[in-house]
Amino acid sequence: MRALNDRGKWLVIAVLGVGLFIFAAKTVPFGHAQTQVTTPSPSQAPGRVGATQTGDSDVFTTDHHSAIAAMRDFLGLRSQPVQPIAFPHKTHLANNLKCLDCHAGADVGPDAAIPSVKFCMTCHLVIATDKPEIKKVAAFQARHEDIPWVRVYNYSQYAHVRFNHAPHIRANVACATCHGDLTKQTTAQRVVNLDMGYCLTCHEQRQAPIDCQTCHF
Amino acid sequence: MPHKWAMVIDLDRCTGCEACVVACHAENNIPTAGEDQAARGRTKHWIRVERYWEGEFPNARIRFQPVLCQQCDAAPCEPVCPTYASYHTSEGLNAQVYNRCVGTRFCANACPYNVRFFNFYNPVWEKPLNLQLNPDVSVREVGIMEKCTFCVQRIHGAEIQAEAEKRELKDGEFNPACVQSCSPKAMVFGDLNDPASEVSRLAKSGRNTKLLGELGTLPNVNYLERNS
Repeated sequence: MRALNDRGKWLVIAVLGVGLFIFAAKTVPFGHAQTQVTTPSPSQAPGRVGATQTGDSDVFTTDHHSAIAAMRDFLGLRSQPVQPIAFPHKTHLANNLKCLDCHAGADVGPDAAIPSVKFCMTCHLVIATDKPEIKKVAAFQARHEDIPWVRVYNYSQYAHVRFNHAPHIRANVACATCHGDLTKQTTAQRVVNLDMGYCLTCHEQRQAPIDCQTCHF
Repeated sequence: MPHKWAMVIDLDRCTGCEACVVACHAENNIPTAGEDQAARGRTKHWIRVERYWEGEFPNARIRFQPVLCQQCDAAPCEPVCPTYASYHTSEGLNAQVYNRCVGTRFCANACPYNVRFFNFYNPVWEKPLNLQLNPDVSVREVGIMEKCTFCVQRIHGAEIQAEAEKRELKDGEFNPACVQSCSPKAMVFGDLNDPASEVSRLAKSGRNTKLLGELGTLPNVNYLERNS
């Protein structure tokens, strides 16, 4: 009876400790997205490896930069991305632009491109030049800087997923299947939880390969 | 089984230049261990060139043998893995699923070829050297096993490209990094299920041997014995 009580006590302490750590991980704002906002280097954003990197470090490593970051990664907690420009997807899509017009290359290769500031300015040199957000874009081009977009969808580095857009688009998977309905969003938000269950459900329905090494290598 | 990937290494042609080792490091994001870790036996080379001396100086001769994962059909590393991280793919590849691996290292103990490597530390690249990392290959963190994949990223890439162009894969259309970099063309990679492929032709050679073949691991890497 005595032993059981001891065990009970330690159980309570362990549960409280883990709970406190999860609470800290949730409340302390130290996620990937927010650390990336503070880094102005555009080369950081589109990289597929090293998603957990901070911009000011001299070395690249797979290590987490803090215990809180490790815990957040383990629990899959991620802050919603905060973009430098309030880019309205719905306005662009309402004007009959297609996803691939700006996110070029997704139908032929692994990555969907993020357009450069020059690409934005090919239209916005003349369109809506008086809007405050467009002025910000023009200012980026005047400074010869790219816009430090914050990555919205990516896999944890520790999931070791190598995703390729092209075969999915050839199989007629709509962009909205994984990225949500962008006609209703301004800046893209993470509305679909792209966990392995989500991928596998679709792969099984369409009889796509479900071999581990199809995606993890 | 649509493909059965295999390799033939002609030991008569190998000059021991180690270009394959360098190419493999570059292709597969393998870090160099450094002096301290190397002294503790923690180097990682998915392919290595073994060197053997024959005879005494001045009549000594050197024999080189590149050793990589043999992609065994009866791989001893697979049944010992408690998390099924080490498993056999439908194309006969001996795969390692990094996100399943918990680092028991049973597979490395079971492997008779010493071609499985444990990450004892988080790999570090001084910036901007990280920009040369291959985006098609994971960077493996501390605590997991890794090994030669027969450059599965290139296999997938070629298969996806062939599918997009609605055609079959051609023999020699793509090669692993080690085969591609082999200047004396000692290494040949291909599909054993295709009887017309170069690798099928060479595997039928009378010089064909398997490394530690007597163990019954049924390796898919064939070594052509030296004639000279």
